[in-house]
Amino acid sequence: MNGGSAKVDYHDAVGVVRLTGEVDISQAQELRGHLLGAVRNEDLGLVVDLTDATYIDSVGVSLLFELADKLAARQLQLAVVLPEGGLIERVLTIVNVASVAEIHRDVDDALSAIRGA
Amino acid sequence: MKSRIAADRLRDLQTITDAALAFLPLDVLLDELLTRVIEILGADTAAILLLDEDESELVARAAKGLEEEVERGVRIPLGRGFAGRIAATRMPVRILNLADADIFNPILREKGLESMLGVPLLVEGEVIGVLHVGTLRQRAFDEDDTELLQRAGDRAALAISSRLTEHERGLANALQRSLMPRLPQLPAVSLAGRYLPAAAARLGGDWYDAFALPDGRLGLAIGDVVGRGFHASAIMGQLRSGLRAYALDGMPPGEVLEKLNRLLRQLEPGRTATLVYIVLDPHGGGLVAAGAGHPPPLVNPADGEPWFAELPSSVPLGASRYVRYDELELELEPGSTLALYTDGLVERAGESLDTGLERLATTVSAGYANLEHLGDALVDVMLPEGAGDDDAALLVARAEVLGETLVARFPAEVESIPVMRRLLGRWLDEAGATRADVEDLMLASAEAAANAIEHAYGLESGVVEVRAWISGEGPVKVAIRDFGNWRAPRGTHRGRGLLLMENLADVVEVVRSDEGTTIELSRRLGAEVA
Repeated sequence: MNGGSAKVDYHDAVGVVRLTGEVDISQAQELRGHLLGAVRNEDLGLVVDLTDATYIDSVGVSLLFELADKLAARQLQLAVVLPEGGLIERVLTIVNVASVAEIHRDVDDALSAIRGA
Repeated sequence: MKSRIAADRLRDLQTITDAALAFLPLDVLLDELLTRVIEILGADTAAILLLDEDESELVARAAKGLEEEVERGVRIPLGRGFAGRIAATRMPVRILNLADADIFNPILREKGLESMLGVPLLVEGEVIGVLHVGTLRQRAFDEDDTELLQRAGDRAALAISSRLTEHERGLANALQRSLMPRLPQLPAVSLAGRYLPAAAARLGGDWYDAFALPDGRLGLAIGDVVGRGFHASAIMGQLRSGLRAYALDGMPPGEVLEKLNRLLRQLEPGRTATLVYIVLDPHGGGLVAAGAGHPPPLVNPADGEPWFAELPSSVPLGASRYVRYDELELELEPGSTLALYTDGLVERAGESLDTGLERLATTVSAGYANLEHLGDALVDVMLPEGAGDDDAALLVARAEVLGETLVARFPAEVESIPVMRRLLGRWLDEAGATRADVEDLMLASAEAAANAIEHAYGLESGVVEVRAWISGEGPVKVAIRDFGNWRAPRGTHRGRGLLLMENLADVVEVVRSDEGTTIELSRRLGAEVA
């Protein structure tokens, strides 16, 4: 029921952005800043954790694509963590986020995938 | 001889009640009046002190021979010393020997005054200040002196009150206008508010507010700053802004009150205020409330008895440095009414508070279909003679039953999207949709609305209409309509928006006409969508 919010944590050389609440058109500008600002020079990649997100729309999805683009240009990886079987998964499947990011079920898997790559 | 004195006396009285005085500006008038009083009574000093807005202190307003009193801005608490006693008792006071008297203001002794006479300034029986004269030599003021000074006091009071009330009336009106927030218009929740200034256009500290939060929920507030007058009103205005600012940052009610407590203690130590702040989800009915020493909100369920929602025990804002304000959560079912009010609405002289609360509950549960009518009825029933000494505020909210066909219009702005989405969600819930139906249709409709908002109007403002219905035994239909010019969706995320609509609804139809564009989504409830 809340507007979206973003929190960044760093695990060695990988940032984890946890998006909670609604990742939508009304929150996009603010979330965009958090997402793009989360990537540091020395990082290997970025994990976007949508476990506690309740909603994502096409603008939120486009943020993920934009982020993937920017990371790819710097040879960095994007991993997205999402729970199984909810609206978020349905949406990300429809738009095929898997074409630009690795999908994982939990943050630890995503972190080791990025480190192992 | 006797007639000679009587003639002097008449002349003296005329000097003081001189109609020509009325044309002078207030400061000149008071100055002139003091000069004449000194002359007639053979005094050395004269001064006028007025009760401040809080009615707790006297402030020196004009003086002759005691100019320091005005220059130093002397303030005398009601009931203390010579002038304070006159104001508190509304009776003249004579002092023969100042050395023996209880005096609060040191200037009187510094000046070397020996004897004094003071009278209350009264307007319609209410004290507004004090007029006093003093002599450097001992002088026994008599009844005649007292009567004469009282006449001069009445003349001053008349002049002051007519100017003050004009001024105050203007302020009170301006304040009242600014107190009336433009209430948000929502299909799912109706709102009505009332504010009644105290009698005699006295400024007060009551207020109410209602506003949409960025996530589509509603913020509802009512409060009462303790005290009266312009100052209490100014503090109220600041608290109101503070509340909105914290609320728009997304803070929950308890935290908002904690911040406001800190704010009030900094704005004005010693000032207290009571307040209730509620966040209401218009589309789920969930309500989170926190209160700071304020009377409990009244809940009138669609079917059932009205009850007072006692909030977790709390102290007024400003009363204590570290306070935690706990929250109460409850559901406001469709058809239920919530009433927030200040004590000015339920309190009547010579009557127990319970009687007032009972009268409130009876009126709110009387079954007014239209909330504006309920607002009028509450004012009529609760305050048949208008507000008394205290001002009063009232805010009522009702969770509306949405009905079989949902029709709602929103400003064509991005901020409308979460609101529209939730409204549709509640309607779909009522229509028996599954969680996946609700989520998918909410998202598809939000995409359609986003498309209308981004493309139909350019930079102009416009309206987006949402209509939802169940077509016979068939699917749910949601139509999102704009009244602007069609322009093909562009940009990759709009492309993705169309993709989402097509996948989340069974059928997506776009109908263009001269009057605008309608995107109609249909989906069979309970069916699996690939």
